[in-house]
Amino acid sequence: MSCDHDAVCITCGDTAVELRVDWVDAAAGLARCVDEAGRAETVETALVGTLNPGDTVLVHAGTALQVVGAAA
Amino acid sequence: MRFVDEFRDAELGRAVAAEILGEVEAGRHYKIMEVCGGHTHSIYKYGVDDLLPANVELVHGPGCPVCVIPMGRVDDGIAVAHHDGVIFACFGDMLRVPGSEGTLLDAKAEGADVRMVYSPLDALRIARQNPDREVVFFAIGFETTAPSTALTLKRARAEGLRNFSCLCNHVTIVPPLRALLESPDLRLDGFIGPGHVCTVVGARPFEFIPADYRKPVVISGFEPLDLLQSVHMIMRQLGLGRSDVELQYSRVVPYEGNLRALEVLAEVFELRPHFEWRGLGFISQSALRLNAAYADFDAELRYEVPGVRVADPKACQCGEVLKGVIKPWECKVFGTACTPEHAIGTCMVSPEGACAAYYNYGRFARDKEVV
Repeated sequence: MSCDHDAVCITCGDTAVELRVDWVDAAAGLARCVDEAGRAETVETALVGTLNPGDTVLVHAGTALQVVGAAA
Repeated sequence: MRFVDEFRDAELGRAVAAEILGEVEAGRHYKIMEVCGGHTHSIYKYGVDDLLPANVELVHGPGCPVCVIPMGRVDDGIAVAHHDGVIFACFGDMLRVPGSEGTLLDAKAEGADVRMVYSPLDALRIARQNPDREVVFFAIGFETTAPSTALTLKRARAEGLRNFSCLCNHVTIVPPLRALLESPDLRLDGFIGPGHVCTVVGARPFEFIPADYRKPVVISGFEPLDLLQSVHMIMRQLGLGRSDVELQYSRVVPYEGNLRALEVLAEVFELRPHFEWRGLGFISQSALRLNAAYADFDAELRYEVPGVRVADPKACQCGEVLKGVIKPWECKVFGTACTPEHAIGTCMVSPEGACAAYYNYGRFARDKEVV
């Protein structure tokens, strides 16, 4: 999910990725999210309201922009 | 992978391409601009262009945030990076964008503490870890990225972090589109709208395009089937004589956008009276700066920046490429003096830049059958 010149710089390219919420720190407004390969990052959640583990969020530049799938 | 595998299905792609062909009026040439650099990258990565008839031409727009940054702003960043005690944080592609006397990578080689970050939050973490240093975040990007910067500034203020500031270069997408539509040297039939910008601003800001210019806009996702379907939707509108804003990327984009994000943007930023865009010149109210409430975090106020306008190298035709007037391979230095390894122009630096997309995927010319 880092800038990768052999592929796409996610941040520079206005690319957003879907990540699954692993755990939520509601007090801090942060969530740990993982991609399909299991790579994790801490994501800002202020723009998407309450999240639950298992939700899928669209993330750009470390910020969740939309919830695109609810936990099963 | 959900929303990936099914949107890369080759059979479905060929079926949609056949439907596009069915909408083509013989003898008419269609020019459709994909606004976003992410779209440009996907089109050439997946060969979407190869599935279209030659008289359906995709024109690449100004939606790569790296490509539109003028050299003078890079110079401003380098000047700040050279200040004693400064840690200068920026996104990866910005490191290689040439200013008038080199890149941020060159500045790093000369001793400046320039660090690549993935998000503004990473820059804030560096500030927390280095309380005796000043951390300056070089903020670029469209409305997709600006909320992340805004939230980071809110955190910095809430935490009382005095050693963090932002050199703001965020831009907005609607003013340059209006400038392009007013441009006499470019005739466009429709627009593939920027899907991820619209997750923030929604589709409504693009309604002026059909209302004022009678051209269709389809907000599109980034997978090959998304793009093909968006082209089909535009072609269908053109065939019916319609011009509307339609949402192809409805699985992600709400028509009204993200209202929380818009509130955060309004809380932290204000519009600049004008901002220079590479290739497009100065465009009124087309960029953001920190508002008075966040002036303490504004690196332009904290440091002296040159603020000098620098003309692009004469050999570089990024301006014409960004306006869609010429194809990358028509530029005099494309693939010779200007390559991704030694870029002269910004369009060759970022993978989303039209020149880099053409270069990386071997698109040096186009010769296809006209329907």
